[in-house]
Amino acid sequence: MTILEEPIKEVLSLKNYIGGEWVESGGEIIDVVNPATCKVIARVPVSTKDEINKAVDVAGEAFPDWRRTPPLARARCLFRLKALMEERFEELSRIQTIEHGKTIDESRGETRRGIENVEVAAGIPSLMMGYNLEDIAAGIDEYVIRQPLGVFGIIGPFNFPFMVPLWFAPYAVATGNCIIIKPSSEDPVSQAKIAEMMEEAGFPPGVWNVVNGGRTVVSGMLDHPDIEGICFVGSTPVAKDVIYRKCGETGKRVIAQAGAKNFLLVMPDANLASTIAACMTSFYGNTGQRCLSGANLIVVGEGLNEHEYNAFYEKVVNAFVDAACNIRVGYGLDESVQMGPLRDKSKKERVTSFVEKGIEEGAKLRLDGRNVKLIGDWPHTCFLNPTVFEDVTTDMTIGKEEIFGPVASIMRARSLDEAIETIHSNPFGNAASIFTSSGKLAREFQYRVQCGNIGINIGIVAPMAFFPFSGMKDSFFGTLHGQGVEAVRFFTESKVVIQRWF
Amino acid sequence: MEEPKATASAIINFSEKLEDDSSNFYEKLAEKFLEMKSVFLAFAEESKKNKVLVTRTYRETITDALEACFSFEGLKLSNYVVKTILTEDTSYSDALRTAIELEDKASKFYLDVAELSKSLLATIPSTFRKVAERRNSRKQVLKSLLEKAMAKH
Repeated sequence: MTILEEPIKEVLSLKNYIGGEWVESGGEIIDVVNPATCKVIARVPVSTKDEINKAVDVAGEAFPDWRRTPPLARARCLFRLKALMEERFEELSRIQTIEHGKTIDESRGETRRGIENVEVAAGIPSLMMGYNLEDIAAGIDEYVIRQPLGVFGIIGPFNFPFMVPLWFAPYAVATGNCIIIKPSSEDPVSQAKIAEMMEEAGFPPGVWNVVNGGRTVVSGMLDHPDIEGICFVGSTPVAKDVIYRKCGETGKRVIAQAGAKNFLLVMPDANLASTIAACMTSFYGNTGQRCLSGANLIVVGEGLNEHEYNAFYEKVVNAFVDAACNIRVGYGLDESVQMGPLRDKSKKERVTSFVEKGIEEGAKLRLDGRNVKLIGDWPHTCFLNPTVFEDVTTDMTIGKEEIFGPVASIMRARSLDEAIETIHSNPFGNAASIFTSSGKLAREFQYRVQCGNIGINIGIVAPMAFFPFSGMKDSFFGTLHGQGVEAVRFFTESKVVIQRWF
Repeated sequence: MEEPKATASAIINFSEKLEDDSSNFYEKLAEKFLEMKSVFLAFAEESKKNKVLVTRTYRETITDALEACFSFEGLKLSNYVVKTILTEDTSYSDALRTAIELEDKASKFYLDVAELSKSLLATIPSTFRKVAERRNSRKQVLKSLLEKAMAKH
């Protein structure tokens, strides 16, 4: 099978993009490593507090002119950005594969999802409209106008280096705000490429800034009085105890999307072949490194007697293990590969420690992904194959904590009620899915389950750009969500005008 | 040796190569057999358009393919490969026979992938079917050219 050409030939030296200039950082420089080949593809700075402060200053200076730029003109910048992204679609996708590790099809999907957010935000002349009502009292009219706020900070995660900042950035600038993006320092190349295209698309200097780095940049954003709000996607401890808390203290708006432990239910009347196929993408897509990944598969025995349930359980487990065994693992630029490496060695070690914990706590290991078998001759440093545990319970570590890797835990529940109780016993509330042929059960599931994104015969409940990316409980901190009209509301203030003319 | 799984990426890569090779082949035929130049150049041009159409459809719908956990199960790409080698000695009728075989396999390839992808967004199988129809139409034209050529002999 073909191994596609790598789009980066020489090691890139990434810079910050501040005020329309590519600026060297005075901070420490760290390597960006392709997790499949273990080769360095770029070097990225860990920017200083002065550098993030400078970015906030120039963004603040750009804001007055940008907010006065007509929405149609702002939208045209986004149209040009979209056209450039389409032109460079393949290059952008391959960059994601080499900087993150995901397969090329997964990268192309991520590119498409990112572009879709640019497309939706380009509809800002309609999306940003207010509303009005005549004659609220004698000769008096009232209306709402939506106004931008200023400068926003966007903190990206490592697992979707291209797409996730685009859940927010296009809406922020379309509504007339200015932004500073801090990409993950593990895979910052995609955001550097977007900044190149944004510059070519004609966004004025200072509107869209990129500052690379780590905690110093994040705390610089959180502490800065001129940052109006923060968009964050990452782990629950950081989202809850750092981002949400600090934004509360400083009065900033916040969208903090956090961790997950997603449950998938298989009912006895499910179409098993389609369910298992959907589960493979759900549990092992992106090597399990996404907040919508399946984590726990509950085989539900609603309406079955003991004997029937045991037979159904075995059938599901065997089909799941058979399918997981056949997933081809290797370098994501190999087109025959279906699962790439973990993002780095420490993440592999973390996942491995969960597997060990699962064995120690008595779960039954049906497929051991620690036995690495690859397509192609690549260093095993970051690779794992799919792992499957069965007879997992909610008190086991692997049953309750987010693993963020290619590990499936299969659980038992005798009824839908018991399965929903199991879901609710977990503190996360990002996504949950049911596989069934029953509209009644599906409706009940949708109605009762306390998760932000519900799937009915869907393995990965990824909301499209024109819907909010939801989340509940320990998976989301904030009020409004990213994407679509909720993002437009997040990035604007609703100003009410009541007028009368004498 | 067992053929690896046909992922969406592999299918599109195969389609792109098929259309590139077809385009090159017909451009060479146009140079070699000047009396049918316009027909062969039209085929070459159509292959370029086919490539654009398939690639665009794939890129615009890749998320659907992914979230449905899609792979083209059981498809063996080696079944659709045709060697399109032209030499100095290749006669007009032999070139037409090669072209007919190429169109036959290409048409079958697109129909097979359309069938295997029918559970996805309608634009995906309909694009494959559309290209299959175009390739089948070419086959009919080529067959009639071959019949005329044979009748002259």
